[in-house]
Amino acid sequence: MAATLTRDELAVALGRTGLGDRAAFRVVYEATSAKLLGVCLRILADRQLAEDVLQDIYLTVWRKAETFDPTRASPITWLVTIARNRSIDRLRSAAPMRKTTPVEDAHDLADAAPLASDILEHSDEVKRLNVCLSELDDKVRGVIRTAFMDGVTYDTLAQRENVPLGTMKSWIRRGLLRLRTCLDQ
Amino acid sequence: MTDAFNDQDERDVLAGELALRLLSPEDEVKARALANTDPGFAARVEGWNDHLAAFADEIAPVEPSAGLWPQIDAATAPTANDNGRVAGFWRTWAIGATGLLAASVGAVAFLVAQPDPVVPPAPPAVVQGGVTRVATLALEDGAPILTIAYDTATGNLFLAPTTQLAGQDGVPHLWLVRPEGGVQLVGAIEPGASSRLALTNILSGVAGQATAVAISIEPRGTTPAQDAPGGPVVASGEIQQL
Repeated sequence: MAATLTRDELAVALGRTGLGDRAAFRVVYEATSAKLLGVCLRILADRQLAEDVLQDIYLTVWRKAETFDPTRASPITWLVTIARNRSIDRLRSAAPMRKTTPVEDAHDLADAAPLASDILEHSDEVKRLNVCLSELDDKVRGVIRTAFMDGVTYDTLAQRENVPLGTMKSWIRRGLLRLRTCLDQ
Repeated sequence: MTDAFNDQDERDVLAGELALRLLSPEDEVKARALANTDPGFAARVEGWNDHLAAFADEIAPVEPSAGLWPQIDAATAPTANDNGRVAGFWRTWAIGATGLLAASVGAVAFLVAQPDPVVPPAPPAVVQGGVTRVATLALEDGAPILTIAYDTATGNLFLAPTTQLAGQDGVPHLWLVRPEGGVQLVGAIEPGASSRLALTNILSGVAGQATAVAISIEPRGTTPAQDAPGGPVVASGEIQQL
């Protein structure tokens, strides 16, 4: 029963959460928890672990909402960044114990599901990123996308793609430079 | 083909690498330190986060279990934030720091007075505040082992160990005790010298709220889970607000 909020409505709810408004906090949770769990699950590939991290994420949101500045970031961007970073922290802290999920499986998971009409879709940020990504080679676009989606390091990417670490770094660094030039326009 | 990047290119690409979390742990620590001392670089990292978060548009939402919200609700309820829920295990380690507070403040003053060659002069409009949270950690027998000072404005955590810490067999790791209970790993700490850590956004949030800090000694070559020490907890102290 995910509530659908506009970006502005979500920004207001997040701002009120920062003032200690528990009803607003619940609105934020209901509007965003499914999206953030998707982000966590994509990185952690384990439902229980992902929900544990999600709980942590919302405790962080409750405590840090007062630092959210709607003039500097969109609310969903702010939340996704927290969710992704927290999931990666957990992934790396547990790295030796974690079984590796074949990246293809994870792609199927995401790509087979219908794209929900949510706060991010059709936003200017999405359009702009996609336009700029389209200027990159398929290969480079693919590894940058995997880096975001799976939260993996250069080392892991190089192993997965079976190329030397230096090659992987060079691909991505040049890709990021082209992206920056395009995104800054 | 060599990459002919100018300095600005290097900074922007490094900011992107940090936002994407591509770097090795060692390089990530260095890049975070830069982000913490250089507001311009930090803004570039934020800029990358803003752009890259659009990737999440491709990720299908997954409804969490119905039981998750009640847990979050309970953990953030006003009665849960009165510091009364620090788990008993941690409470037993929480040596009352009142008697040591004077020593803490002395150490903080010393730390703050030290010139730090790593930090370039920053525009005062951006870096504000100062050391606002301090703690002295003591062994079970009361011997002070470490003084910490945390600057909530910049996320900098200053650590000043005593010689007692260097005598431990293993690698000391610092933990934050969350107000709602539970602990969060900060990381391994240098036993032999004063040091400074730049906490990540998420960690800095925890550090701003934590009620106490503790040290565990982890076997060499191991990394504990983020939320549970693997080795023995040897020292702790309550955090005092200055």
